Amino acid sequence: MRIGVVGADVPRQVVLACGAVPVRILGSWTGAVSQEATELLGAADAVAARVLDEILSGDHDELAGLVVCNDSMADLRVYYVLRILDERGRVPFPVHLLDAPRGGGAHRRRFVSHQYERLAAFVSGVTGQQVDATSLAEAAAREAKLGQALEAVQGRRRERVLSGTTALTAYRAAAQLSPEDAWERIGELVRSAAEPVELDEPAELAGARVPVYLTGSSHPDATVYAALEAAGAVVVGEDHDAGDAAWIGDAVNAATLEEACAQLADRHTARPPAAARSLSSERTEHLLAETERCGAAGVVALVRDLDDGPVWDLAEYRPALASRDLWLAEQLRVPAGGVQDATAGIIRALQRNVNRKDAL
Amino acid sequence: MTEPRTPAQPRTPQAPAGQRLRSAVAATRHQKEWFQTVRQRAAAGEPIALVNADAPHEVFRALDIPYVVTQWWSSIIAAKQAGPASMDRLAAGGLPDFSLQYDAMPLGEQDLPAEDRPWGGLPAPRFAVAERSGDVTAKIFEQWGNRPGTETFLLSRTGADPVPDRWWELVPHQWEQAFGTERLDLLEGEIQDLIAWLEERTGRTMDYGRLAEIMALGNEQAEWNRRTRDLIATTRPTPVLVNDTMPAVMAPQWQRGTQWAVDAARSLYEETAERVDRQVAVCPGERKRLMWVGRGLWSDLGLYTRFQEEFGAVFVWSMYLAIAADGYLRYGDDPVRALAARFVGITDQLYVPPWSSQWYVKEALTHGVDGVVHLVADDTPGSGFITEALEAEGIPVLEIRANNADQRSSSAARIPERIAEFIRRRV
Ligand code: SF4
Ligand code: SF4
Repeated sequence: MRIGVVGADVPRQVVLACGAVPVRILGSWTGAVSQEATELLGAADAVAARVLDEILSGDHDELAGLVVCNDSMADLRVYYVLRILDERGRVPFPVHLLDAPRGGGAHRRRFVSHQYERLAAFVSGVTGQQVDATSLAEAAAREAKLGQALEAVQGRRRERVLSGTTALTAYRAAAQLSPEDAWERIGELVRSAAEPVELDEPAELAGARVPVYLTGSSHPDATVYAALEAAGAVVVGEDHDAGDAAWIGDAVNAATLEEACAQLADRHTARPPAAARSLSSERTEHLLAETERCGAAGVVALVRDLDDGPVWDLAEYRPALASRDLWLAEQLRVPAGGVQDATAGIIRALQRNVNRKDAL
Repeated sequence: MTEPRTPAQPRTPQAPAGQRLRSAVAATRHQKEWFQTVRQRAAAGEPIALVNADAPHEVFRALDIPYVVTQWWSSIIAAKQAGPASMDRLAAGGLPDFSLQYDAMPLGEQDLPAEDRPWGGLPAPRFAVAERSGDVTAKIFEQWGNRPGTETFLLSRTGADPVPDRWWELVPHQWEQAFGTERLDLLEGEIQDLIAWLEERTGRTMDYGRLAEIMALGNEQAEWNRRTRDLIATTRPTPVLVNDTMPAVMAPQWQRGTQWAVDAARSLYEETAERVDRQVAVCPGERKRLMWVGRGLWSDLGLYTRFQEEFGAVFVWSMYLAIAADGYLRYGDDPVRALAARFVGITDQLYVPPWSSQWYVKEALTHGVDGVVHLVADDTPGSGFITEALEAEGIPVLEIRANNADQRSSSAARIPERIAEFIRRRV
C-alpha cells in the first residue's frame, strides 16, 4: 500500500513498519497552476499549488492515504485545504497532518515523538497493520539498505563521476519507490554514471567543470540541474529536501513504537536545517560545512516567488561565502513560469564568476 | 437570542457627522502617551521587549517588562509615512524588503535617522519574542537577536489540528478539546522556559498570583467586548461606526491585562449602551446591514460610511470587536496553562478554515446582516470557503481581492463602485 507524502518531515521507518510505502509528491518547476489551486492556497509557492493540482485532478488517486507535513507555510495550507476537500469527498483517501516543529528542546521533542505515534496510528488505520518489534526491525533494515545506496550516490558524486542531475534522480527514486525498487534503480544509476554528462556549449566553461552547490528553494525535478550541467557546471551538493537534505535512509533500533518515535524525534533535531523552518545562522553554518565537504567553487541560490524562507538567509550567506572565497549567484522571486529565465540568468552569472576567477 | 432592539418611532437622532466615539479618541491618545512612557523607561535603563501579536504578552506584563507589539508598531510606522524608508534600510542591509513587511518594518525603523523616526522611535529592545509562524517570522526575530543588546526567544507555532466545530463555545473553558492537549503541553512548556529565561536575565521572579490576576483582567476586558458586540448585534439601527470600534478595541488589546484596558473596554460598552438608550444611530435610515470580512481597509476608512446616503447601507460588523469578544476568553486555575490556551491557536480562530468560515457565519447570523463584503486576503488559505459558507446561508457575498494597506490596489480594485453595484443587485 502506498501513502502519499507532501513535505519532507516523515520518518519513513514508521510508515514502512506500518506496512506502507511512503511516496513523496514533489510537484514540478513547470506547468500551469490552476485558478482553483491559487484561490484555495492564496499567495503561496507555485510548487505547492502544482502539488495540490495533481492531487485534485486525480493523479494520485491510487494512494491509500496522504500525509502532509507542516514543513512550510505552503504545505500547511495544502493540508488545511485538503482537510476540508477530503470531508467533501474531493479526494479518495484520508489526509493526515504531521507537525514536527524545528528547534529542538525537550518540549518539542516530546511533541514530535507524539506526532510520530499519531502518524503510525493513521497509517496502521489505513493498512490494518500494527507496529511491533519485528516490523520495526524489518523496516529499519530496508531503510538502512536504501541509505547505503544513497551513500554510494554521494560517494560517486564526490568523485565527480555522478552528475547532480543523476543524484537528484536517485533521491527522487528513493523518495517515491519501495526501498527495494529504489535500491535497484539507484544501483543502475550509479553503474551507468561513468558516462560523461552531455554538454550544450562546451566553449564557455569547457575544461574543468565548475563545481556548484545549490541552495534556495527545493527542487521538485531536475529542470535546473540539467540546464546548469549542460552549461558546464556540476551540481556537487544541495541543502534542499529533495536532495542531500532529504530524510531518507535513517532508521533506529527499537523494540516498541514509543521507543522508535522517541529516537526518531531525536534524529529529527539533527537533520540539516530547512529553509522554511530553521534560523539563518544554522543554515549558514550548514552551508559552509557542506560547500567545503563538496568542494564547491560557488553557490547558486534560486528562490521561487512567495517562498520567502530562503531569501532571509542570504544576508548572512553573502559575507560568509565571500570570506571563504566562494561566489554566490542569486535569482530571487522566480515567478511561477520563470524557471528558464532564472536558470539562464544563473548561467550568465556563473560564466562571469568563472571568467573573473580565471583572471585572478 | 434576544429580539433586535428597534426604536419605537423614527425619531432616532443621527450621530453627528464626524463625532467619533469618545472611547476611540481616548484609546488612541492613551496609546501615544503610553509609548512615551516606554521610551522613558528604556532611557532610564529598564529592559523593554518587542513581541509579536500572537505571543504571550501576559508574561511580560506580570514581570513588569514594558512591551511593544510588532504589528501595532508597524501600523504606526506606516501611518507616519516611515514605512518605505524603513524597508529601504532593510534592503540596504541585504535583507528582503518584500517579505512579511508588517513583521519586518520595525527592524528597518531602528536604523532610520533620529529625525525620521515616528514618535521618537522604538528604543532598542532588550528582548525580542515571537512565535515561529509562517516561514520567516523566526528569521526576522533572529535578526533582532543579532543587534547589540537584544536577545531573541522563539516559541513554536503548531498547526491547527484538531479543529472541532464551534470553537467559540469551547475555547473559554474546554480549551483542551478545542486545541488538543499535546499542542497545549508544548506551548505551556515553552512559556515556562520563556519565564525562566526572562527571570534569569532580569533578576526578577514571576509572581504566579500576579499572572493569574492579569489573566483575569484579560478575561474581564473580553467580557466587556462581548457585551458590546452582543449589543451591537441586536440593535437596529446600528449605534456605532465600525471605524470607531476598531481603534477603541485594538489599542486596549495591546494593553491587555491592565485595569486601564478593562476600563477602556467598559467605557466602550457604556458609550455604546448610552447611544442605544438615546436611540442614536449612525444612519437612522438604515435599510441594509453589511458585514466587512477581512482586515480593515485602513487606507480608506471613509469607505465604510459611503453607502449610507444612497442605499441606507451600513457596515455593522468588522472582525476587530468580534474577535476581541470571542477570541481571548480563557478561564482556569492554572494561569500558564490558560495563557498557552489563549495563544496556541489565536490566529487559527480567524484564519484557518473551517474555523474561520463557521465563525463568520455565526457572526453574520447574529448581526442579521443582509450582505457581506469579503476582502480576500491572500495570506490565508481557503478564503473561498468563507464566501461559500455565507452564501449557503443565503447571505450574498462580494469578494474583493486587494491589499488592505495599499491605497493603489484598493482603488485599482474599484472597491466603492463594486460595493455600490453589489448593494444594488444582490443585497
Ligand atoms: S488584528 Fe489581525 S492584523 Fe492586526 S495584529 Fe491582530 S491578527 Fe494581525
Ligand atoms: S439614510 Fe441617509 S439621510 Fe438617512 S440617516 Fe442614513 S445617511 Fe442620513
